[in-house]
Amino acid sequence: MKHLLISTAMAAGLALPAAAETLTVGVATAQTGALAPFDAPVMEGVMIAVDEINDAGGIGGDTKIELIQKDVRSDAAQTSIAVQELADQGVSALILPCDADPSLAAIGIVSSAQIPAISTCASSPTLPEIGGEYMFANFPGDNVQATVSASWAWDQGHRTGYIIYSPDTQYTTMPLYFADVFEELGGEMLGRDTHTIGQQDFSAIATRIAALDPQPDVIMTSSYEPDFPSLIKALRAAGVESQIIGSDGIDSPTTFSLGEVAEGLVFTTAGHPTEGSELEAFNEKYEARYNKPPETVFNAVGYDLIKVLEAAVEAAGSTDPQELRDALANLENVQGATSLITYKGTNGMPVREVSLVRVKDGERELVAQPTPDPDLIPAPRMQ
Amino acid sequence: MIVSPRLHIVASSLAILVLGVGAVLVAQSVGAASERILTVFFISLIGVVGIGIYTGNSGILSFGHVAFMGIGAYAASILTLPVPLKTATLPKLPDWLATTQLDLVSATVIAVAFTAVVALVIGLAIGRLEGSAAVIATLGLLIIVHGVIIGWRDVTRGAQSFFGVPRDTGVWTAAIGCIIALLVARFYRDSISGLRLRAGREDAISAGAVGVNIRRERLIAWVLSAAVMALAGALLAHFLGAFSAKKFYFPDTFLLLAMLIVGGMSTVTGAITGAVVITLVTEFLRRLESGFSIAGFDMPPVLGTAQIGIGLIILFAMFRKADGLAGKKEWEERVFHSSADVAESPELRGLQEDTTLRAKNLTMRFGGLTAVDDVSLSVAPGEIVGLIGPNGSGKTTYLNMLSGILSPSEGRVMRGDEDLTGLSSPQVASRGIARTFQNIRLFRDLSVHQNVLVAALSTKGGDDARARAHRAIARMGLAEKAAEDAGTLSYGDQRRVEIARALACQPSILFLDEPAAGMNREETAALMEQLRGLTRDLGIGILLVDHDLHLINQLCDRIAVLNEGHMIAEGSPAEIRRDPQVIEAYLGPGKEH
Repeated sequence: MKHLLISTAMAAGLALPAAAETLTVGVATAQTGALAPFDAPVMEGVMIAVDEINDAGGIGGDTKIELIQKDVRSDAAQTSIAVQELADQGVSALILPCDADPSLAAIGIVSSAQIPAISTCASSPTLPEIGGEYMFANFPGDNVQATVSASWAWDQGHRTGYIIYSPDTQYTTMPLYFADVFEELGGEMLGRDTHTIGQQDFSAIATRIAALDPQPDVIMTSSYEPDFPSLIKALRAAGVESQIIGSDGIDSPTTFSLGEVAEGLVFTTAGHPTEGSELEAFNEKYEARYNKPPETVFNAVGYDLIKVLEAAVEAAGSTDPQELRDALANLENVQGATSLITYKGTNGMPVREVSLVRVKDGERELVAQPTPDPDLIPAPRMQ
Repeated sequence: MIVSPRLHIVASSLAILVLGVGAVLVAQSVGAASERILTVFFISLIGVVGIGIYTGNSGILSFGHVAFMGIGAYAASILTLPVPLKTATLPKLPDWLATTQLDLVSATVIAVAFTAVVALVIGLAIGRLEGSAAVIATLGLLIIVHGVIIGWRDVTRGAQSFFGVPRDTGVWTAAIGCIIALLVARFYRDSISGLRLRAGREDAISAGAVGVNIRRERLIAWVLSAAVMALAGALLAHFLGAFSAKKFYFPDTFLLLAMLIVGGMSTVTGAITGAVVITLVTEFLRRLESGFSIAGFDMPPVLGTAQIGIGLIILFAMFRKADGLAGKKEWEERVFHSSADVAESPELRGLQEDTTLRAKNLTMRFGGLTAVDDVSLSVAPGEIVGLIGPNGSGKTTYLNMLSGILSPSEGRVMRGDEDLTGLSSPQVASRGIARTFQNIRLFRDLSVHQNVLVAALSTKGGDDARARAHRAIARMGLAEKAAEDAGTLSYGDQRRVEIARALACQPSILFLDEPAAGMNREETAALMEQLRGLTRDLGIGILLVDHDLHLINQLCDRIAVLNEGHMIAEGSPAEIRRDPQVIEAYLGPGKEH
């Protein structure tokens, strides 16, 4: 047991005590595992914002941001352990993994430690609802994204739909919201299929859809890598020519390198670098720092997250976790890289712009940045 | 009943208690973070000894035990989950379950019992498998249980996080659970069942021959270890508050197995050692993950260091310490040398039964080869019968049929009116027929005393086992060496231990397969005297297989000669010496003696 003492003492030495003019942020994200394709780009954006703010003297010119990072390996249990350690170290705010599942694992700790926590890019509206008053999201909600894409599909004249979803995570059930909205608008669902995450073979689903007569006008899915590329290839190989709609999970370089099969694919995401936009400016910063153009919106989403924290510290005038939470919950129109971000009046699921993007010639093309009809947005639910 | 010296058990139990409580007190004085590290450590340790109860004692590596941890975790969590959250996140639960909300202790007890029942069913199914088939079956178990957890969405939330479990496992809860698990493991190791299972691990065939029903002992250990795993799972779930099916899959299996392998599988000492070493190393490496600075040198965050570290430790253990850091002995067994008390040992009792063993027309065919062809032989209590013949003449096959290791293709083995044909070797042993083996089959890592005690415990209902074991040891002149490991003895002594082990079964008939092989002249002479004593004093009938014709001629009342599976002669030593067929078989044709 003596050794245990020594190692603990060393650990205490490694974690620097938070000084008065420091905002200590505990970062428990998935740097390895299934969610790494999202959390890794988010952290690149986070670092840009942190360095930018610290180089300018800190938040409000005097409060430096210090990050304590832990890898949670895309795992619920590991998230729980890492978040507990960060809470023990007295951080002022927590950054949790992308996706609601591992973030939900932290709710017990977040609530009892009373530290505000923001998931990097979870979009499930159930996260803040179940997570309680200290849990915040940083992304347009699944129900909002589904409303945007279903409304767009209806406006395009599509009248029949088909959804493919996975009950394995909250996020991959987004098509259920899509079906609700699409039917509410008057569309007809021709069928629903489920798959498991990590399923390699989608030929059965593709065959089933190809056999439909008439074919569905739109097929909606929120599956992402590695499932989505296999799924879309199987559909196109089976001769299905319906409009395919995806969601933010496929905003990755992979999608744009799929070639012919992905042409015409439309998906919802958190932003688009229109000319003169904040996102365009961010992308230049990104390229200057990493010597490559950003390939996904998740870089900018990481930048957004730090801007939100900055705004909360400025509003609170303090780094006290409780005051930070209260300030965060009342933020309005914070200018992020992707959008204006508002938490006031929500349960922690921010109001942000949703962009509809189309894959054209292997590049991203903006379809629309609509404001969804609030009456159409389905209520959040566990599904 | 506990078979090891009381001093060992008391020392071990006290150490477990003192270490457990002491660690908590130290951690509490250091702070919350170290309490949590200790809690995780305790829970891991429960898992490690849980696997160790089965794997260590049976020798069958199990990859499947973390599945039981998962079953325990889900079962307990469903019972403690607050009702409002349960109805929100698991809307399809049956009503009686949805409205149940228990405290941690009751939920854990139920989860442990439930898991034990599941393990019993699984154990009955896969308990028939041996060797690598058994190991692979445990791997299958892990995958199947994982699949069931993922697929049974209505109860487990499938692949999604199971969250909102009350975080009731504190450091004291974990410490108490850990102390219970360690004591269970320690007591089981030196229980009758544990000793039998370890004997089976060392040598399954000879364990069977002294009456051990290995499958039954394996099943006991399997269920007990599954129950301990369920305890670990329940405590872990209520420590984390949230988990998913992934938590009870390969990564944690390898972590726990790493602890077990690094520390040493067969002891509680090893489990503790391994858990301490791996926990310290991973905690240290995990902290380096966030980056650090030493003497002005800044190390950037390197993620995944902990896993690489564990991998390297396993590799090191595999190369350098195949038995683990703690080896195969408990610390108290090394510190307090036991002197097995064999001083007052009254003489072995004489026989109660004097029924002749008769083998009629035994035939053994292996595929197209007839190893033994239509050979009849009888052994009466009190006589020594020699069975000789050239190499490959079928002597050992014949013994194997008589002792139940092989089932004869044709013919019957009768004892009075009782038909022994086709009985298993433990059943034959329990009927007072014991044997030794041509190539010594001792339980090498058990002491001489334990070797003999297992036999005594596993025959005659275990009555009077200690006394029988002591008498058998005394009779073979092994009292001085009773505490030594059987595998460390000289060749001659090992032969004697085998005979003592057979004697402990209190047999009326004893089969000895080349007992004098490898002995020098004096040792052989002493052995002959001891064997004569067995028939003279105890009325035991002996069937003796040996190449040493001098020994056979001196000792035997009757001699049977096998050649190429046939009995070619039977009679008194004088008759056999004159038999032309025997001379031909031994010396070749045309050479009169």
